[in-house]
Amino acid sequence: MNPITPILHGMKITFEHLFKKPVTLQYPDERPKVAQRFRGLHGLKVSHNKAKCVACYLCPTVCPAKCIRVEAGEDANHDKYASVYEIDMLRCIFCGYCVEACPVDALKMTGEFELANYKRSDFVYSKERLLEK
Amino acid sequence: MVNLTIDDKQVSAPKDSTIYDAAKLNGIKIPILCHDKKLKPFGACRMCLVEVEQMKGRQIPACTTPITEGMIIRTDTPDIIKARKLVLELLLLNHPLDCPVCDKGGDCDLQNLTYDYQVNSNRFVDSKFQHEIDYNNPLIERDMNRCVLCGKCVRICDEIVGFGALTFIDRGIETKIGCEFEKGLNCEFCGSCVSVCPVGSLLARPFKFKSRFWALNKQNSVCGYCGTGCNLTLGVKDNKVLTTIYDENQGFHKGQLCVRGRFGYQFISSDKRLTKPMVRKNGVLTESTWDEALEVVAGRLKGGTDVAALATARLTNEEFTLFKKLLEKAGTKNFDHSAGYAHAALTDGFARSFGTSASPASILDVQKSDLLLVIKTDTYETHPVVGFEINMAVKNKGVKLTVLSDKRGKLSKLPNAKTLVHTPGSEIVILNALAKAILDAKLTDGSASIIPGLPELELSLAAYGADAVYSQCGISAADINKLASEYAAAEKALIIFPVGQAYSGHTAELATAAANLALLTGKYGKEGCGVLCLSEKNNSQGAVDMGFYAQNGSMNALQILDACTSGTVKTLFIAGENPLNSYPDKDKVKSALNAVDFLVVSELFMTETAAMADVVLPVCSFAEKEGTFTSADRRVQYVKPAVRKGIQTKTDYEVFSDLICCLGGQIPPSTAAQFDEIAGRVPGYQGLSHASLRINSAFAPVSITPAFVVPKVPAPVTTGQGMLAMVTGSALYHSGTLSQFGEGSMYVCPEAYVELSRTDAAALKIADNDLVNVSSNAGKLQLKAKVTARMPSGVVFVPYHFSAAPVNTIWNGAAVTPVSLSK
Repeated sequence: MNPITPILHGMKITFEHLFKKPVTLQYPDERPKVAQRFRGLHGLKVSHNKAKCVACYLCPTVCPAKCIRVEAGEDANHDKYASVYEIDMLRCIFCGYCVEACPVDALKMTGEFELANYKRSDFVYSKERLLEK
Repeated sequence: MVNLTIDDKQVSAPKDSTIYDAAKLNGIKIPILCHDKKLKPFGACRMCLVEVEQMKGRQIPACTTPITEGMIIRTDTPDIIKARKLVLELLLLNHPLDCPVCDKGGDCDLQNLTYDYQVNSNRFVDSKFQHEIDYNNPLIERDMNRCVLCGKCVRICDEIVGFGALTFIDRGIETKIGCEFEKGLNCEFCGSCVSVCPVGSLLARPFKFKSRFWALNKQNSVCGYCGTGCNLTLGVKDNKVLTTIYDENQGFHKGQLCVRGRFGYQFISSDKRLTKPMVRKNGVLTESTWDEALEVVAGRLKGGTDVAALATARLTNEEFTLFKKLLEKAGTKNFDHSAGYAHAALTDGFARSFGTSASPASILDVQKSDLLLVIKTDTYETHPVVGFEINMAVKNKGVKLTVLSDKRGKLSKLPNAKTLVHTPGSEIVILNALAKAILDAKLTDGSASIIPGLPELELSLAAYGADAVYSQCGISAADINKLASEYAAAEKALIIFPVGQAYSGHTAELATAAANLALLTGKYGKEGCGVLCLSEKNNSQGAVDMGFYAQNGSMNALQILDACTSGTVKTLFIAGENPLNSYPDKDKVKSALNAVDFLVVSELFMTETAAMADVVLPVCSFAEKEGTFTSADRRVQYVKPAVRKGIQTKTDYEVFSDLICCLGGQIPPSTAAQFDEIAGRVPGYQGLSHASLRINSAFAPVSITPAFVVPKVPAPVTTGQGMLAMVTGSALYHSGTLSQFGEGSMYVCPEAYVELSRTDAAALKIADNDLVNVSSNAGKLQLKAKVTARMPSGVVFVPYHFSAAPVNTIWNGAAVTPVSLSK
């Protein structure tokens, strides 16, 4: 084969790309658009100004990484609520089983993926941090 | 045995079985909601429908149909499954689907069946119930919206507990379970109803929202309160005991518990537990290390002929033996438990009458007997689960019950129960009169004549003619003669009496007098016969078996305290006992503890006694240690740690072994080895080992050498003009002083009270809940009044458990104390 041909072929591809939309993102100036079903940081859904979670303990039960800690409390109306709801993001494998298990649709996975932090303790997300804003 | 076919399988079952029992026996599962093996068949839920070929394929309930020879039964035809689905659909029509917030989730029969039968839609529409939920009760939460009307709670409360707090109210679709006049629950709070509820209608409030059922680690144990020796399953999560779990296959009592066993577990994981050893420095108890504390203690014990020890009857058998070794190594023989008199019925009374320091009867004999003679209705309060057995014996087996008591009580309310209310303190006189009546009427058994001591006994009873004792005991000659002839005539008869630190009148003499009755009529050494002494604490019998009491002239508990005051005892080691609260005469105990040079207390909590100590050692509860307990009827049971002990706490066993090492002694390599040593030495324990007890508890047999002994009758107590006779005892919700730290017990019975009759209350113008000054020769105490119908006039009752109002400020150990009441 003519040794010039593959070089020309390569140059052609390079040339074509000059006129195409770039695949890379200028992160963090440019932000990726995450898919609707992306499994990022968890969010606790809110309804009537309080978390929908009823502390049924199904998410810690189903969690394969055992990264969810729930403690139930009794509110003034004798209803069950999560007095503690913590997820350790260092252990979480983002499988989404917790969302699937939730009987009251109180948990979701958001598009939030920037979870880097400076301290290990900061990876344990408390209920306040997880609440849907 | 009856032969029948269930689902093409040839099976056989006892002829009194129902289809359900026969299927269960042969491993065939029939779904059911309204059945419990302790209860009578009811047939409420219609889940257990089966088809019987001989009944033309009709669907009949398996739980109420007795089996017959050659029955051909099918349990899973499509028609039956359809019918069961319909039953579930109808139940779920009104049942709220709040499984995520219901504590029963995961342990719920209705939830499991719904899952098994895949009932995921409902053809019917109706609104849910809107009953008010009882959140106010501290122990039992009642949510009738979830109820499936299986009636188990109603039946267990009636058939076994005998209280009857719950019942069906209204009819038809309006039916619900409730209390009288739809008021709140005001019962014994034994929680039996909670334990059998198949859904989340009745829940344990202290456990509310604490954990899900599946997250609990279930640990078998033995209850640490009274001497009944009930088996428990503790629900543990994150090394904390959160609840007790019902298991219908557990123990002789089939999982049945009383309020203390079921709701009094909180002391195990209490925040108030001692966590570090403490040593008194410059007059103040300061936190220290084990090395320092043990060194100080060992230094005092070394070569100590002036050392003495008191132990609680809640230690394990292994700990008692090791404690004894430690004290012998230190050079003292002065040790005792339970105030020195609470065990005397066994160690003196039975020892001389039966030749053994244990009861020649077991709790299992209660239901096998024909006649029960119960001394004091308090038997129910001290040992509630034995009370349940008595209840079942009377109701189901038609056993005759006679109660000899200074007050009425729950046992008096049982069908056909005869209660002979006598003058307080005259039990021995009555027992003697009964013996005399038996002798006079020549109702003695042939075996009595060969037992030594009969002529002396006959002679000593001369003054106890039924007519002569009336003035002393207040029981008519006719009643005494009738009871004597009934007792003698019964084929099997059992005498039951409780002992304990608050029952100072239940002495060796009482045990002897009761034993004489059994010996005269030959009612011992046979099934359903004998005398059963219900020892107070979970290992009272063990302490006696291990020989941890004053023997051969050594000092008993009260003498040890006297010796502390006089200065002969300079070092006192108190293991778990709280004499300041539970021993008679608080002032005397206090001056003894003040006078003693050096006081070591090993405890779970900072009790009044521990607060006076020079060294306080934090030790472990029954749920944190390994060992064996011996129940009142000499059943030896093994306990293993259910939770890990605190980092800075040690078991009593470890404390004693460390101290023995400090004194240069030898210790067995393990608790199991220690038990092997016990098994080789203690009569009746032969052949037992930790390995065998782990699988099954075992009775240590009792060998009887009968002898008639003349009981010494105490002088009758005369209460002066305007004075009342005070008797002490146990409240149903408490056991010793430990239950003060069990929140469940404190919710329902938080403080001491003085219980008096309506006539006395009217005469003294005292109303319920009034604060009353109770004064005796010894002192004065302010207590809340409780006016009840069960007290005879002239008698008041005060329970002894409470350190906030210690009865020993007005009680010096007498069986009956004359007191005066004023507002």
